[in-house]
Amino acid sequence: MQAIYAFGLIILIAFLGARFITRGTSLSSVNYFFYSGFIYIFLGLSLGRSGLEVLSPSVLKGLTPLISLGLGWVGFLFGFQLETKYLKRFPGKYISLSFLQFLFVSLFGGLVFFLILRPLYPSEQIFLLYGMAVALGLLLSLNSPTLLSMASNVIPKRGNYYYLSRFLVSVSGFWGIVGLALLSSFWHFPFFESKIFLRGGSLLILSTVFPVLIGFLFHFLTKKRTSEEQMRVYLLGLVFFVSGAAFYFNLPPLYLNMVLGITFSNLTKIHEKLYPLLLSTEKPLYIIFLILIGALWEVDLDYRVGIFVVLMVVLRVITYILPLPFFKVVLDFPLRLPARFGLCFLSSGGIGVAFAVSMKLAYPLLLTDIFLTIALFGILITEFISPWGLKYSVFRLDSEEKK
Amino acid sequence: MIPLVFVFLLMLLLKSHSLLPFANPDQSASLALGFILVFAYLVGNNVKRLTLPQITGFILAGIVCGPFILNFVSESDVNDLQLLDGLALSLIALTAGGEMKIKKLRKQLKTITSIVFFQTFIVLIGFLFLGMIGRYFIPFFGGMSPLQLLAFSLLLGTLMTPTSPATTIAVMTETRSSGKFTDLILGGAVVKDFFVIVIFSFTLSFSKSVTMPSHNFDFRFLLHILGEVSGSILFGVLIGIGIILYFRLIKKDITIFILGIAFFSYQISHNYGYHPLLICLIAGFFAENFSSHGKLLISAIERSSVPIYVVFFAISGASLDLSALQQTWLLALGCVLLRGLLKFSGTFVGSRLTGEGKEVQRLGWAGFISQAGVALGMAIVIQDNFPDWGSEFMALILAVIAINQIIGPVFLQRLLVRVKETGKKTA
Repeated sequence: MQAIYAFGLIILIAFLGARFITRGTSLSSVNYFFYSGFIYIFLGLSLGRSGLEVLSPSVLKGLTPLISLGLGWVGFLFGFQLETKYLKRFPGKYISLSFLQFLFVSLFGGLVFFLILRPLYPSEQIFLLYGMAVALGLLLSLNSPTLLSMASNVIPKRGNYYYLSRFLVSVSGFWGIVGLALLSSFWHFPFFESKIFLRGGSLLILSTVFPVLIGFLFHFLTKKRTSEEQMRVYLLGLVFFVSGAAFYFNLPPLYLNMVLGITFSNLTKIHEKLYPLLLSTEKPLYIIFLILIGALWEVDLDYRVGIFVVLMVVLRVITYILPLPFFKVVLDFPLRLPARFGLCFLSSGGIGVAFAVSMKLAYPLLLTDIFLTIALFGILITEFISPWGLKYSVFRLDSEEKK
Repeated sequence: MIPLVFVFLLMLLLKSHSLLPFANPDQSASLALGFILVFAYLVGNNVKRLTLPQITGFILAGIVCGPFILNFVSESDVNDLQLLDGLALSLIALTAGGEMKIKKLRKQLKTITSIVFFQTFIVLIGFLFLGMIGRYFIPFFGGMSPLQLLAFSLLLGTLMTPTSPATTIAVMTETRSSGKFTDLILGGAVVKDFFVIVIFSFTLSFSKSVTMPSHNFDFRFLLHILGEVSGSILFGVLIGIGIILYFRLIKKDITIFILGIAFFSYQISHNYGYHPLLICLIAGFFAENFSSHGKLLISAIERSSVPIYVVFFAISGASLDLSALQQTWLLALGCVLLRGLLKFSGTFVGSRLTGEGKEVQRLGWAGFISQAGVALGMAIVIQDNFPDWGSEFMALILAVIAINQIIGPVFLQRLLVRVKETGKKTA
């Protein structure tokens, strides 16, 4: 019977999604929820253990390869856009700003989280708390370009702030994902503290060299005339293969596939051919991924989780707003960087979700269940307010500049 | 060839002893799937150059990488991937159902019915005969009582009848076939599946009543099977109506919707004991023939058909029990040859009686060789019901399926090339 309810639910969400997306010309939070696909997390939640149990733990185990593919896909797409030719078009100071922003957000955020984690979880081992604080800090540093993509149709005047924010949200994930790779290698489950540098170094080499090799293979396979069908199989197969290897070694599929994406993107000359394929495959895979994440999510709320969720939202606003005037001075940045510009970085989108799930899957610990709940609630709330943040920052700054 | 070797070496490296301490063996299913998807596809491409069907390459890759040879895809991986395998089967069945158009079938209904009837009848009689005379020269049959042998050969005959609709549709999609033979073979394979499930309920009940004194002919079992079949048909029709309504009212996120259907059918069949293949066949058939949206459904699935086929057939290859083949290869080979001969006779008689031309009479049988899914499911039921000889029976069936699943696609592809029906389907 549950399967029938589930089917009905899927149809209902699809129906609502179709209605909202076709009407979605305004930049409202509800429209963005459907546009970004976050509504499917709730669908997954209602189908999972906390709801109808159609996606029971045994079914989810059978569907784990799809979760790994989803994670890999997000990483590949992210890496694929990091083509050096594209990056070189932007001034070097843009990259420096992105790195400084990452450093400040993750270090300051991580430190605050650690200070709060210790008294709230006194029974947990200290090195686990360190890891969780670092992960939460890294999560804060991730941004998503999805909101800007949606907004690009309704932004009245696109100016320097639009292009700067677009660059920063597209690149910022790189640092966060590299941070995740370092964390997963040197804080590897289940070793944690033993031979940490040797093992960590080996794992980092493995997680970088393997996808680079696969990237060369992908290029070799698609160098000659390749049909769309072949391209689809190679793409799915190789992303799957790399994700599977990541899962097998408890490494983040996000990082490995990002490296694959970067390698391939910088070798190949068929970007134009690949983009339509990526776009047509992206949405279904992403939606399935979000549904499965919702189902995987065991919501376990207590006051401590509540504190962290609030902290996550507050830190997301503060860490992006506060240092901007300081960065302007340090970098001698060509554009004015008023504090409110930081409000365009509220959304962490799919990459944030993928990051949180990577952690949950790589570390089967009670603490990572808590981490997932904090992360997902934090992300959902910031996603909800992010359209407002964008209007208040980029929209206004560009309009003011034009005047 | 270079990419194939490269992928193989990379997998060898990942599974090497030096990296084992870092690995989490519980999470190897995704790695196995990713590897097999690339590897099997590359093998399929190489096999294609030898003018063999790609799916033979997928199956061979599955066998080589499976638990009995390289163990890149272990037994637990195969179990973990059963759900995805089931989803792939549902999608293939939806396509098969959608490819069956009433207009075309109506023209050939008489021939299809006649061929299915005579194939089933002749194969059953042929294997009964094998059982009768086999006890004198086949040591395997020597230890059985006459009644046990009767039951054994009757059930063996039943399981030798079906043709795999999944393999049939996969070869037809790959070769882009269209025409009389294509419709005849696909129609025959699908109709035979229904037919065989019903016959199986009779032969199983009969076999139980003759071999176990405490059992009378079990009409309840018969009713149970009929209930399963009609339940599957009913659900198939309901899903078909759902598809039509979705395409009419929503028409968005079609891929997600189709995957939802595949998952839903899998869950329904898993929870209530229905047949996922039948449910999806009927749903696809209903959507194709009772609305104008069937083409949309089929084209949406066909866009991703190759990865689906690779996953399904490579996992099928990895699941093939080579130890069973090792134990009973000679008898299995005999059964395969006899099955082919009997299929030829059944097709010949069935098509001749309906006035079909010589081409169908002489060549049609070659399209009905592949065998999987349904036969395997029935073999498991037999193994559970006849503890005395069920496991030997299972081993024999697995061995026969292994051979037929390798040669079946080759025969079908050769047939379609010979009758010039390949490459005729427009994209």
